[in-house]
Amino acid sequence: MAASAAVARPRREIERTDWVGYLFVAFFTLPFLIFNIGPILFGAYLSFTKWGIFGKPKWVGLQNFRAAFADEFTIIAFKNTILYGIVIVPCVTVIGLAFALYVHQRWPLSGLARTLFFAPYVVSATVIGLVWVWMLDTQFGLVNHYLGYLGIPEIPWLTSTNWSLIGVSIASIWWDLGLVFVLLLAALQDVPRELSEAAEVDGASRWQRLRMVIIPQLRPVLSLCVTLQVISTLRIFSQVYVMTNGGPASSSSSVIYYIYTTAINQQLFGYASTISMLLFLMILVITLANRLLIRER
Amino acid sequence: MAATLSRTINQRLRRYNLRLADVPVWLVGLVIAVLWAMPFVWMVSTSLKFPGDVMTTDIEWLPHRLTFENYVRIFNEYPVLRWLFNSIFVAVVGTGLNILFGAMAGYALARLRFPGRDALFFLFLASLMVPTEVTVVPLLFAIIKIGWWNTYQAIICQPLTYVYSVYIFRQFFLTLPRDLEDAAKMDGANHFLIFWRIALPLARAPLIAATVIVFTLNWNNFLWPLLATSSDEMKTLPVGVAAFAPVIGTRTQIEGFALGMAGITVLSAPSLMLFFFLQRYFIQGLSSGAVRG
Repeated sequence: MAASAAVARPRREIERTDWVGYLFVAFFTLPFLIFNIGPILFGAYLSFTKWGIFGKPKWVGLQNFRAAFADEFTIIAFKNTILYGIVIVPCVTVIGLAFALYVHQRWPLSGLARTLFFAPYVVSATVIGLVWVWMLDTQFGLVNHYLGYLGIPEIPWLTSTNWSLIGVSIASIWWDLGLVFVLLLAALQDVPRELSEAAEVDGASRWQRLRMVIIPQLRPVLSLCVTLQVISTLRIFSQVYVMTNGGPASSSSSVIYYIYTTAINQQLFGYASTISMLLFLMILVITLANRLLIRER
Repeated sequence: MAATLSRTINQRLRRYNLRLADVPVWLVGLVIAVLWAMPFVWMVSTSLKFPGDVMTTDIEWLPHRLTFENYVRIFNEYPVLRWLFNSIFVAVVGTGLNILFGAMAGYALARLRFPGRDALFFLFLASLMVPTEVTVVPLLFAIIKIGWWNTYQAIICQPLTYVYSVYIFRQFFLTLPRDLEDAAKMDGANHFLIFWRIALPLARAPLIAATVIVFTLNWNNFLWPLLATSSDEMKTLPVGVAAFAPVIGTRTQIEGFALGMAGITVLSAPSLMLFFFLQRYFIQGLSSGAVRG
Protein backbone atom coordinates (compact mmCIF):
# COMPACT_ATOMS: atom_id res chain seq x y z
CA MET A 1 0.00 0.00 0.00
CA ALA A 2 2.60 2.52 1.12
CA ALA A 3 4.97 1.44 -1.66
CA SER A 4 2.36 1.85 -4.40
CA ALA A 5 1.49 5.31 -3.08
CA ALA A 6 5.15 6.30 -3.28
CA VAL A 7 5.38 5.07 -6.87
CA ALA A 8 2.24 6.90 -7.87
CA ARG A 9 3.54 10.18 -6.48
CA PRO A 10 5.25 12.36 -9.11
CA ARG A 11 9.04 12.11 -9.08
CA ARG A 12 9.46 15.84 -8.67
CA GLU A 13 7.77 15.74 -5.28
CA ILE A 14 9.89 12.86 -3.95
CA GLU A 15 13.11 14.74 -4.54
CA ARG A 16 11.92 18.10 -3.30
CA THR A 17 13.79 19.47 -0.30
CA ASP A 18 11.83 20.77 2.68
CA TRP A 19 14.01 23.77 3.49
CA VAL A 20 11.70 24.62 6.37
CA GLY A 21 13.10 21.49 8.07
CA TYR A 22 16.20 23.47 9.06
CA LEU A 23 14.02 25.96 10.91
CA PHE A 24 12.20 23.10 12.67
CA VAL A 25 15.41 21.54 13.95
CA ALA A 26 17.17 24.86 14.67
CA PHE A 27 15.36 25.52 17.95
CA PHE A 28 16.66 22.30 19.47
CA THR A 29 19.95 22.11 17.60
CA LEU A 30 21.33 25.56 18.47
CA PRO A 31 21.19 25.12 22.27
CA PHE A 32 22.35 21.54 21.75
CA LEU A 33 25.47 22.65 19.83
CA ILE A 34 26.25 25.50 22.23
CA PHE A 35 25.59 23.77 25.56
CA ASN A 36 26.46 20.15 24.76
CA ILE A 37 28.75 19.70 21.73
CA GLY A 38 30.61 22.95 22.46
CA PRO A 39 31.57 21.93 26.03
CA ILE A 40 32.62 18.46 24.81
CA LEU A 41 35.08 19.98 22.33
CA PHE A 42 36.18 22.70 24.76
CA GLY A 43 36.74 20.04 27.44
CA ALA A 44 38.82 17.93 25.05
CA TYR A 45 41.01 21.00 24.42
CA LEU A 46 41.22 21.90 28.11
CA SER A 47 42.44 18.42 29.01
CA PHE A 48 45.73 19.30 27.29
CA THR A 49 46.09 22.63 29.11
CA LYS A 50 46.92 24.04 32.48
CA TRP A 51 44.26 26.46 33.67
CA GLY A 52 43.59 28.00 37.08
CA ILE A 53 40.93 30.57 37.88
CA PHE A 54 43.05 33.42 36.47
CA GLY A 55 44.70 33.88 33.12
CA LYS A 56 44.38 31.83 29.97
CA PRO A 57 44.62 28.07 29.43
CA LYS A 58 48.26 27.13 28.74
CA TRP A 59 48.99 24.20 26.39
CA VAL A 60 50.96 21.51 28.23
CA GLY A 61 50.48 18.51 25.94
CA LEU A 62 50.17 15.17 27.67
CA GLN A 63 51.46 16.43 31.03
CA ASN A 64 48.00 16.22 32.67
CA PHE A 65 47.51 12.66 31.51
CA ARG A 66 50.91 11.68 32.90
CA ALA A 67 50.03 13.42 36.16
CA ALA A 68 46.68 11.60 36.33
CA PHE A 69 48.30 8.18 36.13
CA ALA A 70 50.70 9.15 38.89
CA ASP A 71 48.03 10.79 41.09
CA GLU A 72 47.11 8.53 43.99
CA PHE A 73 43.64 10.13 44.34
CA THR A 74 42.78 9.59 40.67
CA ILE A 75 43.69 5.95 41.06
CA ILE A 76 41.59 5.65 44.25
CA ALA A 77 38.66 7.34 42.50
CA PHE A 78 38.81 4.98 39.52
CA LYS A 79 39.30 1.97 41.78
CA ASN A 80 36.29 2.93 43.93
CA THR A 81 34.14 3.57 40.87
CA ILE A 82 34.93 0.10 39.55
CA LEU A 83 34.15 -1.35 43.00
CA TYR A 84 30.79 0.48 42.93
CA GLY A 85 30.13 -1.23 39.61
CA ILE A 86 31.09 -4.64 40.97
CA VAL A 87 28.72 -4.22 43.93
CA ILE A 88 25.81 -2.37 42.33
CA VAL A 89 25.44 -3.82 38.82
CA PRO A 90 24.94 -7.52 39.74
CA CYS A 91 22.64 -6.63 42.67
CA VAL A 92 20.44 -4.34 40.59
CA THR A 93 20.24 -6.83 37.72
CA VAL A 94 19.44 -9.89 39.84
CA ILE A 95 16.98 -8.16 42.21
CA GLY A 96 15.41 -6.26 39.29
CA LEU A 97 14.90 -9.53 37.40
CA ALA A 98 13.40 -11.20 40.50
CA PHE A 99 10.97 -8.29 41.02
CA ALA A 100 10.03 -8.26 37.33
CA LEU A 101 9.34 -12.01 37.34
CA TYR A 102 7.21 -11.61 40.47
CA VAL A 103 5.08 -8.75 39.10
CA HIS A 104 4.78 -10.54 35.74
CA GLN A 105 2.82 -13.37 37.43
CA ARG A 106 -0.13 -10.96 37.75
CA TRP A 107 -1.06 -12.29 41.15
CA PRO A 108 -3.40 -10.17 43.33
CA LEU A 109 -1.90 -6.79 44.30
CA SER A 110 0.89 -7.09 41.74
CA GLY A 111 0.01 -3.58 40.56
CA LEU A 112 0.75 -2.28 44.05
CA ALA A 113 4.02 -4.21 44.13
CA ARG A 114 4.99 -2.67 40.78
CA THR A 115 4.34 0.84 42.10
CA LEU A 116 6.36 0.23 45.27
CA PHE A 117 9.31 -1.38 43.47
CA PHE A 118 9.54 1.49 41.00
CA ALA A 119 8.84 4.48 43.28
CA PRO A 120 12.42 5.18 44.51
CA TYR A 121 13.55 5.71 40.90
CA VAL A 122 11.53 8.94 40.56
CA VAL A 123 12.91 10.88 43.55
CA SER A 124 16.01 13.04 43.63
CA ALA A 125 19.48 12.09 44.84
CA THR A 126 19.02 14.37 47.82
CA VAL A 127 16.04 12.32 48.98
CA ILE A 128 17.85 9.02 48.43
CA GLY A 129 21.00 10.25 50.14
CA LEU A 130 19.38 11.81 53.18
CA VAL A 131 16.90 9.03 53.83
CA TRP A 132 19.70 6.45 53.75
CA VAL A 133 22.08 8.51 55.88
CA TRP A 134 19.30 8.36 58.47
CA MET A 135 18.46 4.68 57.88
CA LEU A 136 22.16 3.74 58.10
CA ASP A 137 22.98 5.92 61.13
CA THR A 138 25.33 3.92 63.32
CA GLN A 139 23.68 4.58 66.65
CA PHE A 140 20.01 5.36 65.94
CA GLY A 141 19.52 4.01 62.40
CA LEU A 142 16.80 1.51 61.54
CA VAL A 143 19.12 -0.89 59.73
CA ASN A 144 21.46 -1.38 62.68
CA HIS A 145 18.48 -1.57 65.04
CA TYR A 146 16.97 -4.54 63.21
CA LEU A 147 20.37 -6.16 62.56
CA GLY A 148 20.79 -5.97 66.34
CA TYR A 149 17.96 -8.49 66.74
CA LEU A 150 20.03 -10.90 64.66
CA GLY A 151 22.93 -10.40 67.05
CA ILE A 152 24.93 -8.30 64.57
CA PRO A 153 26.87 -5.50 66.33
CA GLU A 154 26.48 -1.86 65.18
CA ILE A 155 28.00 -1.35 61.74
CA PRO A 156 29.53 2.11 61.03
CA TRP A 157 27.99 2.12 57.51
CA LEU A 158 29.05 5.60 56.43
CA THR A 159 31.72 6.56 58.93
CA SER A 160 34.34 3.85 58.48
CA THR A 161 36.69 3.37 55.55
CA ASN A 162 35.74 -0.31 55.33
CA TRP A 163 31.99 0.20 55.04
CA SER A 164 31.32 3.58 53.40
CA LEU A 165 31.38 2.23 49.84
CA ILE A 166 28.88 -0.50 50.80
CA GLY A 167 26.64 2.07 52.54
CA VAL A 168 26.50 4.30 49.45
CA SER A 169 25.95 1.21 47.26
CA ILE A 170 22.88 0.15 49.29
CA ALA A 171 21.25 3.52 48.65
CA SER A 172 22.23 3.37 44.96
CA ILE A 173 20.74 -0.08 44.50
CA TRP A 174 17.46 1.12 46.01
CA TRP A 175 17.48 4.13 43.69
CA ASP A 176 18.62 2.54 40.40
CA LEU A 177 16.57 -0.63 40.50
CA GLY A 178 13.38 0.89 39.03
CA LEU A 179 14.72 1.34 35.50
CA VAL A 180 16.06 -2.21 35.17
CA PHE A 181 12.83 -3.50 36.72
CA VAL A 182 10.50 -1.80 34.20
CA LEU A 183 12.71 -2.63 31.21
CA LEU A 184 12.72 -6.31 32.19
CA LEU A 185 9.00 -6.26 32.97
CA ALA A 186 8.25 -4.87 29.50
CA ALA A 187 10.54 -7.48 27.94
CA LEU A 188 8.84 -10.32 29.84
CA GLN A 189 5.53 -9.30 28.33
CA ASP A 190 7.04 -9.89 24.89
CA VAL A 191 8.19 -13.45 25.68
CA PRO A 192 5.67 -15.70 23.90
CA ARG A 193 3.48 -17.42 26.49
CA GLU A 194 3.35 -20.61 24.44
CA LEU A 195 7.09 -21.18 24.94
CA SER A 196 6.81 -21.26 28.71
CA GLU A 197 3.55 -23.22 28.63
CA ALA A 198 5.00 -25.84 26.30
CA ALA A 199 7.95 -26.30 28.66
CA GLU A 200 5.52 -26.70 31.54
CA VAL A 201 3.60 -29.40 29.68
CA ASP A 202 6.92 -31.19 29.12
CA GLY A 203 7.36 -31.24 32.89
CA ALA A 204 9.94 -28.46 33.29
CA SER A 205 10.06 -27.01 36.81
CA ARG A 206 9.68 -23.30 37.45
CA TRP A 207 13.46 -22.92 37.80
CA GLN A 208 14.14 -24.88 34.60
CA ARG A 209 11.64 -22.77 32.68
CA LEU A 210 13.36 -19.64 33.95
CA ARG A 211 16.85 -20.83 33.03
CA MET A 212 16.14 -22.59 29.75
CA VAL A 213 13.25 -20.58 28.29
CA ILE A 214 12.82 -17.14 29.80
CA ILE A 215 16.40 -15.93 30.40
CA PRO A 216 17.58 -16.79 26.86
CA GLN A 217 14.63 -14.79 25.52
CA LEU A 218 15.55 -11.84 27.75
CA ARG A 219 19.25 -11.86 26.81
CA PRO A 220 19.24 -8.71 24.61
CA VAL A 221 17.36 -6.68 27.24
CA LEU A 222 19.53 -8.03 30.04
CA SER A 223 22.61 -6.94 28.15
CA LEU A 224 21.08 -3.48 27.61
CA CYS A 225 20.30 -3.26 31.34
CA VAL A 226 23.83 -4.22 32.32
CA THR A 227 25.34 -1.65 29.93
CA LEU A 228 23.03 1.12 31.16
CA GLN A 229 23.78 0.17 34.72
CA VAL A 230 27.55 0.07 34.19
CA ILE A 231 27.46 3.53 32.62
CA SER A 232 25.22 4.89 35.36
CA THR A 233 27.60 3.60 38.07
CA LEU A 234 30.59 5.10 36.27
CA ARG A 235 28.75 8.44 36.63
CA ILE A 236 28.01 7.99 40.34
CA PHE A 237 28.20 11.35 42.10
CA SER A 238 25.15 12.86 43.81
CA GLN A 239 24.57 10.14 46.40
CA VAL A 240 28.30 10.21 47.24
CA TYR A 241 28.18 13.99 47.63
CA VAL A 242 25.12 13.90 49.91
CA MET A 243 25.96 10.81 51.96
CA THR A 244 29.71 10.86 52.63
CA ASN A 245 31.39 13.71 50.71
CA GLY A 246 33.64 10.96 49.36
CA GLY A 247 34.94 10.16 52.83
CA PRO A 248 36.10 9.05 55.22
CA ALA A 249 39.60 9.44 53.74
CA SER A 250 38.40 9.13 50.10
CA SER A 251 37.09 5.62 50.82
CA SER A 252 33.79 6.30 49.01
CA SER A 253 35.06 8.86 46.50
CA SER A 254 34.21 8.34 42.82
CA VAL A 255 35.61 9.66 39.54
CA ILE A 256 32.95 12.37 39.13
CA TYR A 257 33.28 13.28 42.80
CA TYR A 258 37.04 13.71 42.32
CA ILE A 259 36.44 15.81 39.17
CA TYR A 260 34.08 17.97 41.21
CA THR A 261 36.59 18.59 44.02
CA THR A 262 39.44 19.18 41.56
CA ALA A 263 37.43 21.75 39.63
CA ILE A 264 35.57 23.46 42.46
CA ASN A 265 37.83 23.21 45.51
CA GLN A 266 41.25 23.25 43.83
CA GLN A 267 40.20 25.09 40.66
CA LEU A 268 42.39 22.97 38.41
CA PHE A 269 40.10 23.11 35.36
CA GLY A 270 42.59 21.65 32.90
CA TYR A 271 43.31 18.70 35.14
CA ALA A 272 39.61 18.15 35.92
CA SER A 273 38.95 18.01 32.16
CA THR A 274 41.73 15.47 31.75
CA ILE A 275 40.09 13.12 34.26
CA SER A 276 36.73 13.70 32.52
CA MET A 277 38.33 12.63 29.24
CA LEU A 278 39.72 9.47 30.83
CA LEU A 279 36.25 8.63 32.15
CA PHE A 280 34.72 9.34 28.74
CA LEU A 281 37.24 7.02 27.07
CA MET A 282 36.32 4.29 29.56
CA ILE A 283 32.60 4.70 28.79
CA LEU A 284 33.31 4.75 25.06
CA VAL A 285 35.26 1.48 25.24
CA ILE A 286 32.47 -0.19 27.25
CA THR A 287 29.74 1.02 24.86
CA LEU A 288 31.67 -0.09 21.77
CA ALA A 289 32.58 -3.44 23.32
CA ASN A 290 28.91 -4.02 24.07
CA ARG A 291 27.94 -3.12 20.46
CA LEU A 292 30.48 -5.60 19.12
CA LEU A 293 29.31 -8.35 21.48
CA ILE A 294 25.69 -7.86 20.43
CA ARG A 295 26.59 -7.85 16.73
CA GLU A 296 28.50 -11.09 17.05
CA ARG A 297 25.48 -12.95 18.42
CA MET B 1 -8.93 -36.43 51.33
CA ALA B 2 -6.00 -34.05 51.31
CA ALA B 3 -5.97 -34.22 47.53
CA THR B 4 -9.63 -33.21 47.22
CA LEU B 5 -9.11 -30.42 49.75
CA SER B 6 -6.21 -28.93 47.81
CA ARG B 7 -8.22 -29.29 44.59
CA THR B 8 -11.09 -27.29 46.09
CA ILE B 9 -8.69 -24.62 47.33
CA ASN B 10 -7.01 -24.46 43.94
CA GLN B 11 -10.40 -23.99 42.27
CA ARG B 12 -11.15 -21.11 44.61
CA LEU B 13 -7.70 -19.59 44.01
CA ARG B 14 -7.91 -19.84 40.23
CA ARG B 15 -10.14 -16.80 40.26
CA TYR B 16 -7.12 -14.88 41.57
CA ASN B 17 -4.70 -16.42 39.08
CA LEU B 18 -3.03 -18.29 41.97
CA ARG B 19 -2.24 -21.89 42.82
CA LEU B 20 -1.90 -23.23 46.35
CA ALA B 21 1.81 -23.87 45.80
CA ASP B 22 2.25 -20.22 44.76
CA VAL B 23 0.75 -18.70 47.89
CA PRO B 24 3.96 -18.59 49.99
CA VAL B 25 5.92 -16.94 47.13
CA TRP B 26 3.07 -14.50 46.59
CA LEU B 27 3.02 -13.49 50.26
CA VAL B 28 6.81 -13.21 50.57
CA GLY B 29 6.84 -11.00 47.46
CA LEU B 30 4.22 -8.69 48.95
CA VAL B 31 6.18 -8.40 52.19
CA ILE B 32 9.32 -7.48 50.24
CA ALA B 33 7.36 -4.89 48.22
CA VAL B 34 6.11 -3.27 51.41
CA LEU B 35 9.61 -3.36 52.97
CA TRP B 36 10.95 -1.76 49.77
CA ALA B 37 8.80 1.31 50.44
CA MET B 38 9.62 1.48 54.16
CA PRO B 39 12.33 4.16 53.82
CA PHE B 40 9.60 6.53 52.56
CA VAL B 41 7.35 5.66 55.51
CA TRP B 42 10.25 6.20 57.91
CA MET B 43 11.02 9.53 56.24
CA VAL B 44 7.46 10.85 56.70
CA SER B 45 7.18 9.37 60.19
CA THR B 46 10.42 11.03 61.32
CA SER B 47 9.37 14.37 59.81
CA LEU B 48 6.27 14.40 62.04
CA LYS B 49 8.12 13.76 65.31
CA PHE B 50 9.36 16.18 67.93
CA PRO B 51 13.16 16.48 67.56
CA GLY B 52 13.51 14.95 71.03
CA ASP B 53 11.73 11.77 69.89
CA VAL B 54 13.94 11.25 66.85
CA MET B 55 17.47 10.51 68.03
CA THR B 56 16.58 7.61 70.32
CA THR B 57 17.07 3.87 70.17
CA ASP B 58 13.30 3.26 70.50
CA ILE B 59 11.87 2.65 67.05
CA GLU B 60 8.48 4.31 66.74
CA TRP B 61 6.88 3.78 63.32
CA LEU B 62 3.76 5.67 64.36
CA PRO B 63 4.87 8.62 66.51
CA HIS B 64 3.07 8.69 69.86
CA ARG B 65 2.81 12.48 69.54
CA LEU B 66 2.71 14.38 66.26
CA THR B 67 3.95 17.82 65.27
CA PHE B 68 4.13 19.92 62.10
CA GLU B 69 6.75 22.11 63.73
CA ASN B 70 9.54 20.71 61.52
CA TYR B 71 7.71 21.82 58.38
CA VAL B 72 7.04 25.27 59.83
CA ARG B 73 10.70 25.60 60.79
CA ILE B 74 12.21 24.60 57.46
CA PHE B 75 10.03 27.21 55.73
CA ASN B 76 10.88 29.88 58.31
CA GLU B 77 14.54 29.20 59.01
CA TYR B 78 15.66 28.22 55.51
CA PRO B 79 14.77 29.76 52.13
CA VAL B 80 12.81 26.60 51.28
CA LEU B 81 9.96 28.64 49.75
CA ARG B 82 12.43 30.39 47.45
CA TRP B 83 14.09 27.07 46.53
CA LEU B 84 10.66 25.61 45.82
CA PHE B 85 9.86 28.54 43.52
CA ASN B 86 13.25 28.22 41.76
CA SER B 87 12.73 24.50 41.25
CA ILE B 88 9.21 24.91 39.87
CA PHE B 89 10.22 27.79 37.60
CA VAL B 90 13.31 26.06 36.24
CA ALA B 91 11.57 22.70 35.79
CA VAL B 92 8.49 24.19 34.08
CA VAL B 93 10.42 26.46 31.69
CA GLY B 94 13.16 23.90 31.04
CA THR B 95 10.69 21.09 30.39
CA GLY B 96 8.33 23.24 28.29
CA LEU B 97 11.11 24.43 25.97
CA ASN B 98 12.78 21.02 25.73
CA ILE B 99 9.49 19.32 24.83
CA LEU B 100 8.41 21.97 22.30
CA PHE B 101 11.81 22.13 20.56
CA GLY B 102 12.19 18.36 20.82
CA ALA B 103 8.77 17.77 19.22
CA MET B 104 9.59 20.18 16.36
CA ALA B 105 12.95 18.53 15.76
CA GLY B 106 11.40 15.06 16.03
CA TYR B 107 8.74 16.05 13.49
CA ALA B 108 11.32 17.38 11.02
CA LEU B 109 13.59 14.36 11.43
CA ALA B 110 10.68 12.00 10.78
CA ARG B 111 8.57 13.79 8.15
CA LEU B 112 10.66 16.35 6.25
CA ARG B 113 13.41 15.82 3.70
CA PHE B 114 16.52 17.97 3.83
CA PRO B 115 20.25 17.37 3.39
CA GLY B 116 22.07 16.44 6.59
CA ARG B 117 18.93 15.20 8.32
CA ASP B 118 20.20 11.71 9.09
CA ALA B 119 23.66 12.98 10.05
CA LEU B 120 22.02 15.31 12.56
CA PHE B 121 20.02 12.49 14.10
CA PHE B 122 23.18 10.42 14.31
CA LEU B 123 24.91 13.31 16.11
CA PHE B 124 22.05 13.45 18.66
CA LEU B 125 22.33 9.72 19.33
CA ALA B 126 26.13 9.76 19.45
CA SER B 127 26.05 12.57 22.03
CA LEU B 128 24.36 10.14 24.43
CA MET B 129 27.71 8.39 24.73
CA VAL B 130 29.19 11.44 26.44
CA PRO B 131 27.68 11.67 29.94
CA THR B 132 26.57 15.13 31.05
CA GLU B 133 28.97 14.82 33.98
CA VAL B 134 31.86 15.00 31.53
CA THR B 135 30.61 18.24 29.93
CA VAL B 136 29.75 20.20 33.09
CA VAL B 137 33.26 21.47 33.94
CA PRO B 138 33.91 23.13 30.56
CA LEU B 139 30.27 24.30 30.43
CA LEU B 140 30.61 25.88 33.86
CA PHE B 141 33.56 28.00 32.75
CA ALA B 142 31.84 29.03 29.55
CA ILE B 143 28.88 30.11 31.70
CA ILE B 144 31.13 32.10 34.04
CA LYS B 145 32.87 33.80 31.08
CA ILE B 146 29.61 35.02 29.54
CA GLY B 147 28.41 36.27 32.92
CA TRP B 148 25.53 33.80 33.33
CA TRP B 149 26.75 32.19 36.54
CA ASN B 150 24.12 32.08 39.27
CA THR B 151 21.23 32.96 36.92
CA TYR B 152 18.09 31.08 35.86
CA GLN B 153 19.25 30.86 32.24
CA ALA B 154 22.41 29.11 33.44
CA ILE B 155 20.38 26.43 35.24
CA ILE B 156 17.97 26.00 32.32
CA CYS B 157 20.43 25.94 29.39
CA GLN B 158 21.95 22.55 30.16
CA PRO B 159 18.74 20.46 30.42
CA LEU B 160 17.54 22.01 27.12
CA THR B 161 19.95 19.62 25.42
CA TYR B 162 18.24 16.38 26.59
CA VAL B 163 17.94 14.38 23.37
CA TYR B 164 15.31 12.04 24.81
CA SER B 165 12.33 14.16 23.67
CA VAL B 166 13.62 14.37 20.08
CA TYR B 167 14.02 10.63 20.01
CA ILE B 168 10.60 9.77 21.40
CA PHE B 169 8.76 12.22 19.09
CA ARG B 170 10.68 11.07 16.02
CA GLN B 171 9.74 7.47 16.80
CA PHE B 172 6.09 8.45 17.05
CA PHE B 173 5.93 10.71 13.98
CA LEU B 174 7.53 7.98 11.86
CA THR B 175 4.40 5.88 12.45
CA LEU B 176 1.89 8.48 11.20
CA PRO B 177 0.41 7.77 7.75
CA ARG B 178 1.60 10.13 4.98
CA ASP B 179 -1.95 10.68 3.70
CA LEU B 180 -2.71 12.91 6.67
CA GLU B 181 -0.34 15.66 5.68
CA ASP B 182 -0.88 15.13 1.97
CA ALA B 183 -4.54 15.91 2.50
CA ALA B 184 -3.63 18.95 4.58
CA LYS B 185 -1.17 20.13 1.91
CA MET B 186 -3.93 19.94 -0.70
CA ASP B 187 -5.83 22.36 1.47
CA GLY B 188 -2.82 24.68 1.38
CA ALA B 189 -1.59 24.17 4.94
CA ASN B 190 2.14 24.72 5.53
CA HIS B 191 4.34 22.54 7.70
CA PHE B 192 3.91 24.68 10.80
CA LEU B 193 0.14 24.33 10.59
CA ILE B 194 0.40 20.59 9.92
CA PHE B 195 2.74 20.18 12.89
CA TRP B 196 0.72 22.31 15.27
CA ARG B 197 -2.81 21.38 14.25
CA ILE B 198 -2.49 17.78 13.09
CA ALA B 199 0.70 16.02 14.15
CA LEU B 200 1.09 17.35 17.69
CA PRO B 201 -2.55 16.72 18.78
CA LEU B 202 -2.16 13.12 17.58
CA ALA B 203 1.00 12.75 19.67
CA ARG B 204 -0.82 12.96 23.00
CA ALA B 205 0.66 9.77 24.49
CA PRO B 206 4.34 10.49 23.67
CA LEU B 207 3.76 14.11 24.68
CA ILE B 208 2.59 13.13 28.17
CA ALA B 209 5.27 10.43 28.52
CA ALA B 210 8.08 12.76 27.46
CA THR B 211 6.75 15.58 29.64
CA VAL B 212 6.56 13.56 32.86
CA ILE B 213 9.99 12.06 32.27
CA VAL B 214 11.77 15.28 31.30
CA PHE B 215 10.01 17.13 34.13
CA THR B 216 11.23 14.52 36.63
CA LEU B 217 14.78 14.72 35.24
CA ASN B 218 14.64 18.52 35.61
CA TRP B 219 13.09 18.43 39.07
CA ASN B 220 15.72 15.98 40.33
CA ASN B 221 18.67 17.50 38.45
CA PHE B 222 21.51 17.80 40.95
CA LEU B 223 25.07 18.22 39.68
CA TRP B 224 24.43 21.02 37.18
CA PRO B 225 22.33 23.30 39.46
CA LEU B 226 24.90 22.66 42.19
CA LEU B 227 27.65 24.00 39.93
CA ALA B 228 25.64 26.72 38.17
CA THR B 229 24.53 28.52 41.34
CA SER B 230 26.60 30.22 44.01
CA SER B 231 24.20 32.12 46.25
CA ASP B 232 21.68 30.56 48.60
CA GLU B 233 18.65 32.21 47.00
CA MET B 234 19.41 30.85 43.51
CA LYS B 235 19.60 27.22 44.61
CA THR B 236 17.04 24.68 43.50
CA LEU B 237 15.26 22.52 46.06
CA PRO B 238 17.45 19.38 45.71
CA VAL B 239 20.64 21.44 46.03
CA GLY B 240 19.33 23.55 48.91
CA VAL B 241 17.86 20.66 50.90
CA ALA B 242 21.16 18.74 50.54
CA ALA B 243 22.46 21.12 53.22
CA PHE B 244 20.54 18.97 55.72
CA ALA B 245 23.00 16.15 55.08
CA PRO B 246 25.31 15.80 58.08
CA VAL B 247 28.42 15.91 55.85
CA ILE B 248 27.33 19.20 54.24
CA GLY B 249 25.61 21.33 56.89
CA THR B 250 26.22 21.19 60.63
CA ARG B 251 22.57 21.59 61.63
CA THR B 252 21.63 17.91 61.41
CA GLN B 253 24.68 16.88 63.42
CA ILE B 254 23.45 19.09 66.24
CA GLU B 255 19.65 18.78 66.00
CA GLY B 256 19.08 15.38 64.45
CA PHE B 257 17.16 14.25 61.39
CA ALA B 258 13.64 15.65 61.98
CA LEU B 259 14.19 18.84 59.93
CA GLY B 260 16.02 17.03 57.14
CA MET B 261 13.23 14.47 56.77
CA ALA B 262 10.67 17.30 56.53
CA GLY B 263 12.86 18.87 53.82
CA ILE B 264 13.05 15.74 51.68
CA THR B 265 9.34 14.99 52.18
CA VAL B 266 8.59 18.36 50.55
CA LEU B 267 11.16 17.60 47.84
CA SER B 268 9.91 14.11 47.01
CA ALA B 269 6.16 14.84 47.15
CA PRO B 270 5.79 16.35 43.63
CA SER B 271 7.70 13.62 41.83
CA LEU B 272 6.00 10.83 43.78
CA MET B 273 2.53 12.33 43.14
CA LEU B 274 3.27 12.76 39.44
CA PHE B 275 4.41 9.15 39.33
CA PHE B 276 1.41 7.72 41.18
CA PHE B 277 -1.10 9.47 38.92
CA LEU B 278 0.72 9.04 35.60
CA GLN B 279 2.43 5.72 36.24
CA ARG B 280 1.37 4.25 32.91
CA TYR B 281 3.09 7.05 30.98
CA PHE B 282 6.26 6.81 33.08
CA ILE B 283 6.62 3.13 32.36
CA GLN B 284 5.71 3.46 28.67
CA GLY B 285 8.14 6.31 28.23
CA LEU B 286 10.98 4.52 29.96
CA SER B 287 10.50 1.27 28.08
CA SER B 288 10.34 2.96 24.67
CA GLY B 289 13.72 4.63 25.06
CA ALA B 290 16.24 4.13 27.80
CA VAL B 291 16.44 7.44 29.57
CA ARG B 292 19.32 9.41 30.91
CA GLY B 293 19.89 12.90 32.24
